[in-house]
Amino acid sequence: MNIPILTLLIFVPLAGALLVTALPADRPERFRWVALVVAVAEVLLSLMAYTAFDGQLADYQLLEQADWITLPLGNFGIASIDYLVGVDGISLPLVLLSAVVLLAGVVSSWSIRHREKAYFSLYLLLTGTVMGCFMALDFFLFFLFFEFMLLPMYFLIGLWGGLRREYASIKFFLYTLLGSLLILLVMIALYMSVMDPVSTAVASGMVADPAAVTSDIIRLVQLRLANFQLSSAEIVHTFDLRYMADGSNYLPSSFLSLSGETILLGLPTRMLAFWAVFIGFAIKLPIVPLHTWLPDAHVEAPTPVSVVLAGVLLKIGGYGFLRIAWGLFPDGGAEFARPLAVLGVLSILYGGLNALAQADVKKLIAYSSVSHMGFVLLGIASLTSEGINGAIYQMVSHGVLSAMLFLIAGVIYDRTHDRRIDSYRGLIAPMPQYATLTAIAFFGSLGLPGFSGFVGELFTLMGSLQSFWLPGWMTAVATLGIVLAAAYFLWTLQRMFFGPYWSRHEATHSLSDLTNRERWLLIPLGVLALLMGLFPNLIFNLTNASVARWLEKFVVG
Amino acid sequence: MLLRLPAPHRAGRLAAGLTLTGLLASLWLTWLLPGAPVHLRHEWVTLPGMKVAVSFQLDRLAVLMLLLVHGVALLVQVYSISYLRDERRLSRYFAYLQLFVGAMLGIILAGNLIILYAFWELVGLASYLLIGFWYERPAAALAAQKAFLMNRVGDAAFLFGIIYTYHLLGTTELAALGMAVPAGGMPTVVGLCLFMGCVAKSAQFPLLTWLPDAMEGPTPVSALLHAATMVAAGIFLLARIHPVFSPDALLAIVVIGTVTALWGGYSALFQSDIKKVLAFSTVSQLGLMVAAMGTGNVSGAMFHLLTHAFFKAGLFLSAGAVLHAVHTQDMQQMGGLRKALPITFWAYTICAAALAGLPFFSGFLSKEAILAGAFGWAAGPPTNLAYCIPLLLLLSSGLTALYMARQWRLIFFGNYRNEGVAYRHLHEPDALMRVPVLLLAGLSVAFWFSLNPLSAHNSWFFYWLSAKEPAAPWWLAVVSVALVLLGGWLGFRLVEPRPEKVWVRASVAYGFLDEFYQRSIINPVRFVSTLLYRTDRQVIDGVVDGTGMGSVVLAHIMHWVDRWFVDGLVNGSVWLTGRLGRLARSVQNGRVQSYIATAVAGLLLFLWWLL
Repeated sequence: MNIPILTLLIFVPLAGALLVTALPADRPERFRWVALVVAVAEVLLSLMAYTAFDGQLADYQLLEQADWITLPLGNFGIASIDYLVGVDGISLPLVLLSAVVLLAGVVSSWSIRHREKAYFSLYLLLTGTVMGCFMALDFFLFFLFFEFMLLPMYFLIGLWGGLRREYASIKFFLYTLLGSLLILLVMIALYMSVMDPVSTAVASGMVADPAAVTSDIIRLVQLRLANFQLSSAEIVHTFDLRYMADGSNYLPSSFLSLSGETILLGLPTRMLAFWAVFIGFAIKLPIVPLHTWLPDAHVEAPTPVSVVLAGVLLKIGGYGFLRIAWGLFPDGGAEFARPLAVLGVLSILYGGLNALAQADVKKLIAYSSVSHMGFVLLGIASLTSEGINGAIYQMVSHGVLSAMLFLIAGVIYDRTHDRRIDSYRGLIAPMPQYATLTAIAFFGSLGLPGFSGFVGELFTLMGSLQSFWLPGWMTAVATLGIVLAAAYFLWTLQRMFFGPYWSRHEATHSLSDLTNRERWLLIPLGVLALLMGLFPNLIFNLTNASVARWLEKFVVG
Repeated sequence: MLLRLPAPHRAGRLAAGLTLTGLLASLWLTWLLPGAPVHLRHEWVTLPGMKVAVSFQLDRLAVLMLLLVHGVALLVQVYSISYLRDERRLSRYFAYLQLFVGAMLGIILAGNLIILYAFWELVGLASYLLIGFWYERPAAALAAQKAFLMNRVGDAAFLFGIIYTYHLLGTTELAALGMAVPAGGMPTVVGLCLFMGCVAKSAQFPLLTWLPDAMEGPTPVSALLHAATMVAAGIFLLARIHPVFSPDALLAIVVIGTVTALWGGYSALFQSDIKKVLAFSTVSQLGLMVAAMGTGNVSGAMFHLLTHAFFKAGLFLSAGAVLHAVHTQDMQQMGGLRKALPITFWAYTICAAALAGLPFFSGFLSKEAILAGAFGWAAGPPTNLAYCIPLLLLLSSGLTALYMARQWRLIFFGNYRNEGVAYRHLHEPDALMRVPVLLLAGLSVAFWFSLNPLSAHNSWFFYWLSAKEPAAPWWLAVVSVALVLLGGWLGFRLVEPRPEKVWVRASVAYGFLDEFYQRSIINPVRFVSTLLYRTDRQVIDGVVDGTGMGSVVLAHIMHWVDRWFVDGLVNGSVWLTGRLGRLARSVQNGRVQSYIATAVAGLLLFLWWLL
């Protein structure tokens, strides 16, 4: 059975987007159904990928490759861009997460009552590009998806958002664009500096057929490259992330060569490149002080867009760290482990303290995301098995829990169009189910054992203390984050839900408890968070082998 | 095996039935328990080079706690069926109670620090839900939040301690801990971090202020969680991980325990709320147990934990019976109840006598064990300063007698002072409430613990734990009994001082600890968070918006430059070209005469140049 699962994961939603544009606009429920069918198909496809995936193997699996662009450039060698997708233990959990969160987003989008056609086609476009982003193994392809993700997001916030939607969407767009610019520069530099050993072997006449290339020949090509025995016309440049991750494929004396002799602005270019991609992805994650687009985007975005933004898009930042920033520049990751971890700890505390100061529930959740994503950076910077596995786990866990949290904020907003905490008291009286599910989401997010949040925090903290690179006090300070999380979540719970019932909108809006649709959105997400918390090996069995391989680059000499 | 999930939306009978089953199962286990601890492991997380197992461990200490928790829980549940009869959300109440029992059993049976921590937090959740059970009352909601947050502070340190333990030893299995720990314990900082878990959960100084507030919960909850079992989890933890503590850490534990014992005792002195007196006495007794742990007297501390659980639960349930009758918690409005509630009076008296440490009651035995251990310990260090500790502990047990006698007098003696409920309407509760109270009072008698009511030397307890009761100096019993009698006499005769006095206010406000936290921690944190948010909005966003605005302004300038200079240049050159073109065109006007004139002029110029 040779179903191209990953390609389908990318192109089914893109086809869906086309279908939605092709359908006449007079019956909007059709768009909803198309989107729902696509989202369900995505979940099924990702589950197929899950069953087809062998967690024991560290390699990329379910690879699909097609030549896309090959261009001889004379003395500049040969340009080659491939359509190349595959998953490993780092990306598969995120693909699964995306499928689930995007489905929740579609169900939540059911209540969109305004330009449905455009909305759902953009939403499906977003779905496809997000999937592409996590699965592309060709940097160019990755970048393409990364950029194309921006476009629907910009419109989804800018057209269906709240009062300050234009400010928020432009801020989001410019922030991310700055990030992509930095990533683009590094991508080009990488391309100039890396060869494709297989195609180079063919181009330099060592073998006749790419299929005949063995690992010995690759080693020989790499040796000849290191000894300047290849002419520039013979070298085939590549965007293939697998080759970029192998230090032996870097051209000596090229812009990003491993020896690091190229200096720019007084710094080795590799370090500069590391920081450039780091900033590019840190904006996405986001890391303090590059985070201020997030609260605005969340506050203005409609509920489902917030759900997708927090649940999925932020994770591309963490994924980019693992795959590109640290994955291609391990020297940078090791060299700057301390300042990077400091940024992580800073995000944890800064996000948490800011969350305490919020009057708007959605902003509070947005800042709590900043705090939780700090754990991801801390875990990655630790360069330990516990830390990295924990960071991936934390991303998946936060994806589920933050989706739940934003849906919860959406429930009250749908009723009264007011999300201020001080507009309500004692909500548990009119909305007991809502209060219960909110408490579950809050306790899950503040790291109550049994829910997934605890495992992510535990393992990233363990990793940071185990780390060869980081001093112990960082872990101690980061642990304060869990106190802050308890403080802002419980305080909100106490202010909004307990005490005698009162609402600023008592006269105008009646507060009804959860509808069926809301229940069916929130309960499965809560169950998922609980399942992952009780059986963390569900995730760790996927990530383990790939993370071990990933860490080989950081062996302490 | 004994982990039962909460049974939501079932009546209290089901819950009590479950607990009874648990109790019988525990008894059966006690019968079956082999000499070596039983372990149960299941893989939870496996990463290269690390394994965390969901592991459980059953040994003699755990069995003891199992019996205790099940026993008290059963009595409390039976009591609750009657006490909360009119409560709307009764099924929810029993579900929370079951959640608590399950989580508490998890702590007792946990064989791994991480698993223990997980149940530790779940117990905190149960406590949060039960304290805030009457969430319509803002005070209850606030108390629940305070309890969880203060516990979180301790738990964060506890978690860090666990991670640190894992970092140093490569394992968090309790069974492996004993062997892996180097002689002399782990680094002091690790021990102190782990101890912080106990500080919060067992309401030790400085994290003790949540416990008096926790009295907002229903009274049976106070009896079960906040007197008998949950707050004792910290003591149990210390017993479980005792080998990790370095001598310095143990010293810190002794000091904290002693300070807590005195702090709690003093705070209990002038409270007017019946439950708050009991809460502070719990704080004080827990301090005693912690101090005993610090002196290395694990079995003595556990002994006191056991006896305390019964008489304190008995006190709370009797207090519940009093509240049930008079509908107020303010002792100033009680008085003279010994005639109206004779059964409650006697139960209260027996339990209070046990708490005060009168001979023939259980508290006497366990306090002697702790004090004897403390005097033995004080002989160890080279300095005589160490004797401060046992002397202060002795003082705190005198304080206990003092405040209990005061409370006893306020509730049961003197004149009835409540105008809300007529004296003749006062009545004893029904059997469902009376039986648990009487059972607990019965269990507060020394007989159950030792056949010799004046010495626990041959108690089954120490046999069971294969420990020896520390030898007591002969005068200790005499002195402590004298102190207890003195304290009791003072407390009974005490004239209530005026409440404005600083030393009274200090007692009522428990040493102004909460005000101190409000000023030194809560307010600054809120200030900093507001400040940071302003920074976020104004500084960081200022830079972002500034850059954005700057770009727009720059774009306008560029536009202007474009329009006037670049375009000007373009337009200028267009104009110039046009002019020149017109000039050139004017020459080529199609008239032969002018062509000839031009040609002639050119020729003349050429000739002039040649010549």
